[in-house]
Amino acid sequence: MLKTISAPRDKKVTGCGECRSTCQSACKTSCTVGNQSCERITREQNPEKNK
Amino acid sequence: MIHVFNYKNIYYVYDSGSGSLHECDKDTADYLKARYEGGVMPDFSAEKIAEIERDVQSLKDSGLLFKEEVKTYPIKSSEIKALCLHICHDCNLRCRYCFADEGAYHSKREFMSLETAKRAIDFLIEGSGNRKVLEVDFFGGEPLMCLDVIKEVVAYARREGDRAGKKFLFTTTTNALLLDDDAIDFFNREMENVVLSLDGRQEVHDAIRKTKNGKGSFAYVIENIKKFVRSRGDKSYYVRGTFTSKNLDFSKDVIFLAENGFDSISMEPVVTEIDELAIKEEHIPEILSEYERLCDKYLEKYDGGEGFNFFHFNIDLEGGVCLQKKVSACGAGNEYFSVVPNGDIYPCHQFAGDKNFLMGSVYTGELDKKIRERFAENCLFTRKRCGDCFAKFICSGGCSANNYHFTGDMNEPYPITCDMMKKRIECGMHVLAHKKESKKTSQ
Repeated sequence: MLKTISAPRDKKVTGCGECRSTCQSACKTSCTVGNQSCERITREQNPEKNK
Repeated sequence: MIHVFNYKNIYYVYDSGSGSLHECDKDTADYLKARYEGGVMPDFSAEKIAEIERDVQSLKDSGLLFKEEVKTYPIKSSEIKALCLHICHDCNLRCRYCFADEGAYHSKREFMSLETAKRAIDFLIEGSGNRKVLEVDFFGGEPLMCLDVIKEVVAYARREGDRAGKKFLFTTTTNALLLDDDAIDFFNREMENVVLSLDGRQEVHDAIRKTKNGKGSFAYVIENIKKFVRSRGDKSYYVRGTFTSKNLDFSKDVIFLAENGFDSISMEPVVTEIDELAIKEEHIPEILSEYERLCDKYLEKYDGGEGFNFFHFNIDLEGGVCLQKKVSACGAGNEYFSVVPNGDIYPCHQFAGDKNFLMGSVYTGELDKKIRERFAENCLFTRKRCGDCFAKFICSGGCSANNYHFTGDMNEPYPITCDMMKKRIECGMHVLAHKKESKKTSQ
């Protein structure tokens, strides 16, 4: 039995550089990109972020 | 490549090429582990093996298993996107584990002048090219020792940002000792994120985070932080603790923080050369078990309607950042820099004060090309040891500074850090699976 829990959604944006700097998070030493989101997609989905 | 692991008899397969996570039964896990990660092949019937292979093939055909990893090197931009502004190299606490030499960074205690801070903002805007969103983290020492300067810098950056078509996102990292109503009001208006240092239980916090008089600081900061968090609304913050070899039972500290009303928490392993506090190889088995204990308690809280955000258990496998970001490492020394009080520029806060990494000054605006190129070349694929690690597209090769300080080479990850990272990722994947299952059940 193999059941898919999670798979990446298709994305339109790649390499635009609009994402937050990895180190400006909560850790400052244990950097991980795994919990970051794509800023451009987030802004597209949430226009409030553009203000 | 695939990574087969189990979390208390729940079996998972993570495919690093596609970034997909699957759950499986024990037989499938044993078979995949033996076949693809080495080991003794279980004594299964031909029929059983065929059944497993059919499931595998089906996911392969959908591009969700054994997908080839993309080896494209990142396109490095020369645009600067973020600064860590060391607004003062002085601190009102004397924390034993402080990597910053209790605020002084192995130099004299000093404050950044408003003029230098403005130059830093100019340097960031001028170096940012077409990038619209810029980030500044007010760091120290203790930034609240010069709140008035921070207020003026924020006003200046907003004004200059408007002129240049840039939006600033500010963060402050503080020990909360001076977090009064005025600071709270200002942070809530201006700071995109606030990181508040609190190590957890009073005895743990007070053993390390002491005032200049040698007293524990817990009683002074806890109410300030509570008041701030109550006023924060839906804006971002993190209560950030550090654990050392003295509190390897740090899950108790995380839960303590959660039970004190903090719902956004991070807890990081100490980076120190102090022998009695440092995390060493012999501590790793206990730390890995502790992450599991934390994961269990975290999910208990979640199931009981008291869920909170723990930084390292948030893994976004569905959205997340693009591949370019995943292979680009942290960006220190190329798109992210630290500026110390006299205006000198370093690759990041962890290198501040190390003259071998002095890159320039905001007063000249020039950056040492050799050092910048050295950092710009950094990426996942220059870290050879990461090649056969399942976690590489999630951790991006780790912290360059940590690598350098522990191994002498930015591209040589420190195995102890890797062990902890991989365990946190496995816990994060289990959390993801558990939450998805819970949502399905409740629908």
